[in-house]
Formats: sequence, C-alpha cells, structure tokens
Amino acid sequence: MSHDTHDAVPSGPTTETLGPHTRRLKLLTVVATFGGLLFGYDTGVINGALPYMTDDLGLTPATEGVVTSSLLLGAALGAFLGGRVSDRRGRRTMILRLAVLFAVGTLICTFAPGVGVMVFGRVVLGLAVGGASVTVIAYLSEVSPVERRGRLVTQNELMVVSGQLLAFVGNAVIGGVWGEAGGVWRWMLVIATLPAVALWAGMLAMPESPRWLASRGRFGEALAVLQQVRDAKRAEAELAEVRALAEEDEAAQTAGWRDLAVPWIRRIVVVGLAIAVMQQITGVNSIMYYGTQILTESGFDRDGALIANIANGVISVLATFVGIWLLGRVRRRPMLIVGQIGTFCALLLVGVFSLVLPEGVSRASVVLALTVTFLAFQQGAISPVTWLMLSEIFPLKLRGLGMGVCGLMLWIVNFLVGLLFPILVAAIGISATFFLFAGLGVCAMLVAKAIVPETKGRTLEQLERDFKHGGAPARDMAKVTR
Amino acid sequence: MTVMVAVPDSPEGRTALSAALDETRLRDTDLVVLNLALDPLDVVGMPSDLPITVRERTGHADLADSVLAALDEYAGTVDLLVIGMKRRTPIGKALLGSLSQRLLLEADVPVLAVKR
Repeated sequence: MSHDTHDAVPSGPTTETLGPHTRRLKLLTVVATFGGLLFGYDTGVINGALPYMTDDLGLTPATEGVVTSSLLLGAALGAFLGGRVSDRRGRRTMILRLAVLFAVGTLICTFAPGVGVMVFGRVVLGLAVGGASVTVIAYLSEVSPVERRGRLVTQNELMVVSGQLLAFVGNAVIGGVWGEAGGVWRWMLVIATLPAVALWAGMLAMPESPRWLASRGRFGEALAVLQQVRDAKRAEAELAEVRALAEEDEAAQTAGWRDLAVPWIRRIVVVGLAIAVMQQITGVNSIMYYGTQILTESGFDRDGALIANIANGVISVLATFVGIWLLGRVRRRPMLIVGQIGTFCALLLVGVFSLVLPEGVSRASVVLALTVTFLAFQQGAISPVTWLMLSEIFPLKLRGLGMGVCGLMLWIVNFLVGLLFPILVAAIGISATFFLFAGLGVCAMLVAKAIVPETKGRTLEQLERDFKHGGAPARDMAKVTR
Repeated sequence: MTVMVAVPDSPEGRTALSAALDETRLRDTDLVVLNLALDPLDVVGMPSDLPITVRERTGHADLADSVLAALDEYAGTVDLLVIGMKRRTPIGKALLGSLSQRLLLEADVPVLAVKR
C-alpha cells in the first residue's frame, strides 16, 4: 500500500465483471451517499430559511451567526466522536443511528419556538452531519473495490454540494409559492426528514462493512458480505486483502500526541492544518450559508434572491464535476494556487462593486456573477485538492491522528466564518467584509506557495523524505518537476 | 541476560542506541531494540555480529506504556534498560510529558540514562 504512487490504479486480484453484485454495490452507494446529501441539505437550507426566520424569531446579526454556526460546532464534535463510535459499533449501526439523529434534529429545528431550542436543534443536526462526514466515507471506501476507492471521497463531496443545491431549489420553490404564509421556513427545514427516512430504511437492507467485520475477527460474516458485492471469484481473493486492510487501519492509529515532538512529523501536521484552514478561509461557506442575504442586500427582492441563489448551487455541482476530472490530469499545487487566485479576484471584485455600484438589480446581478465565479474556482479547484491532499500527505502510522486534527480544524474555521460573517457585515459593511476575505486569500496563497508539497504521482516515502530533510518540501519539488 | 533500548525518533534516540550497542558488546549478551519512531528503524550501519532483535511500534499506546509493556514481556531476561535524555523546556514537558522521567521512575530494572 505505502509503495503505491498516488495516481496508480492498483489492479485488484481480478478485474471486476458485471453481475447482480454490481447492482447491489450501486444501490449501496446510492443509499450511503444519502448521508452526504443530508449533510449538504442541512448546511444549505439555512441559506434561504434565514431571512424568514429572522423576521419570525427576531434574530439579530449575532444570533443569526449563532443559529447558523451552532451546527458546525456540533459537526466538529460529531466528526471527532463519530470515528470512535463507528469503530466500536460498526459502520452500518452508526449510519442507522445518524439517520435517526438527522430526523430528530430536523424536527427540533422545525418546531423551535425560539432561538434557544433552534440552537439546540442545530447542534443535534451538527452531530449527525459531522458523524456522517466520517462514517459514510469510511463505509463506502470499505465496501468498494480498490480501484474505485480513490474517487469516493470526491464523490461524497459531490453529494454534499448536490444536497446544498437541492436545499436552494427547495427554498426557492417554497418561498415562491407559500412565501406570504407565516413560518414558511419551518416547511423548508422539515423536508430534510424525507432523505433521513430514506437513509434509515435503505441502510436496514444494507450489509455491514466487510473491513470492519474483519477488524473484529468476524471473517465468516465478512466473506458473506463480500460475496454480495463482488463476483464469486473475487470475493475469496479479496478477503485476504480486506484482512490486510483491517490491519492497516489499526496501524493508522499508531501515532499519538507525543509524536508531535518529532520535527518532521510536526511539519507534516502543520502542512495538513494549513491546507484545512486555506479551504475555509476563502469564506466559501459565507456564500453557502448567507448567499440569499448577500443577494438581498445587493438589491434583489426576497423571491428573486432565493431564485438567483440557485445559480450558486448549480455552479457548485458543475464545478465539483470539473474538479474531480481535473484532479486526474493536473498537478495539485498549481490547481490549488490557480483556485486561490480565482477566488481572490472574485472576492476583491465583490468588494469593489458593492462599494461603487448603487444598490439595485444591476449591482445584485454583478454580485451574483461574481459569487458564481468564486464558487467555480473554490469547488472546482480548492476544495477537491483539499480533500485529496489531506488523504495523501500522512504516512500510514500518522494517518488517524493527522486526519483527525485536520478535520477538526476544518470545522472550527468553518464555525468561525459562519458565526462572524453576519456580525462583520453588520459592523463594517459587506464590501469591507469581502476585502477582508480577499486579504486572507492573499495570505493563504503565500502559505500555499511556501509550504504545500506536490503530492501527485509521488509515493508516501518520497514525501516523507522531503519532510525529513528541511522545511520547504515545495521548493525541492519544484526543482524535481521542472 | 539481555539489554533493552528505547529509541525514539530523535538525536537522543540514536545516542541511546549506540550506548546500548556498546553495553551489549561489553556484557557479551543480546540486544532488544524498541523502535519508537513511526517509520522502521534504519538498520544500515548496525553491527552484524551482535544478536539484535528490533521491535517496531504497533497499536495505539502511550510510548512509555509500550516500553513498560515490553519490559514486562521480557521480565527475567532483560536486566538493563538504556534510554537517552535531554533537557526539556517546562512547556514542552507540560504539553507532551516526559518519557524518560516515567521510564526512570517506573521501570523495574536498572536504567542507564545517557546524555548527548
């Protein structure tokens, strides 16, 4: 495993043939990715619901920030605890419980009489979102044949943005049709119970992860599951591999905090943390959570903003497709830096046009065009590189700890952006807020240039050597690749 | 009678290892090397005439615990533990704890602590 280069598609024991197991695997993928869809829906729905909620519940910019970002605090906790629980109880059990948690959280938010209950419900939803973010990916990568594993992380990301798009469309439809009735935001929220029920019912019929069963020494059951999702010849051959992978999973948990005393290990973790921060610090989620409000403040009316916001969702989905395609073709570092240049320009221009154009439909249209441009670069370049790089830079024995702290960092920065955005807009205005994000973008670009290594086509051993010899792996690599 | 050495991924680790090799030769016995680094021990340059067993790190355990567990496993055969030491800042010690302090206090065989 550790000798594979990142691009090599390892050929399995035998190549996959079509059969009933293919359909089974497809169905399984669809069911499990409902977790990603719910993740996207629950983070995106607040975008259109917030303007109505603000009126109904009497939200201030500060409480708007709290309602939006409390989900992310829950998600940080959920991601942190989720891994442990799913290691102990199994992936399938965990996903079933998460589906219940999704439904319960949704209902609490839907019937929330005031801010307090709403925040509580959002934290519960966050626990489910965070738990799903780790468990669904683990489940999918453990049941899928080895040649598909690489793509799964990014495919899950695709489901997340699709969930957000779905939420934006749902918001626009509900807002457009029943916008005048009171409490319309409650209807926007409650729709999320449907995919939660689908996830729960679907997972009941799905098998446990063979790799988890193997890690528990339940090899008979593991083989039975493999026979459902592989052709007969391959299932036998793969049990050995699954056994090896279960051992590898255990090895991945070797490193502990004390290993951070070793300089080269610290360097890798710092690079991982920087990549995590850079993905969020562009402010992408200020658009995913507050897009409708940004457009309303720029000059669209409420219904117009809800509809226009769909463009943000559509471009996110399209750009994610492009991003997945690009990952296989271009190097990671240039892709990241081009993404950063693109988002920086878009952010800067939003700030400029918000300053020079009078509020109205023309300004709102320009802002919309720019947020769409921003998302194209973010979801088409920065985000896919982030997900992939975080899975590529850590040597096996450091992986558990490394991914854990970087995931936590992602949620924390996401939380801060979600919390502070409405407060900043109220305090210093929308254009100054975007200038701030643009400034942070410049810092991120400099950091990326200085410390982010190229991981495409390099083995973990090569990367490890670079981290051991000196602090600037990026520069060494430039020499090699030129 | 066997010598055991704890080798973390640091200059002190390499100092401890070379001291342990000397001690093993002096006592004309064999050596158990506990590699505490995340990557396999570099065995290039290790003397081939000495009976050496290298144990890599497995599982998620505190470093001191894993050394003490290895000592228990070899109870009765290992009669010397070799470790490396260095000066630590109070902050570093508070954050990450002190491996050598725990081993000095808790190992039930004599400990040879070498400084660089």
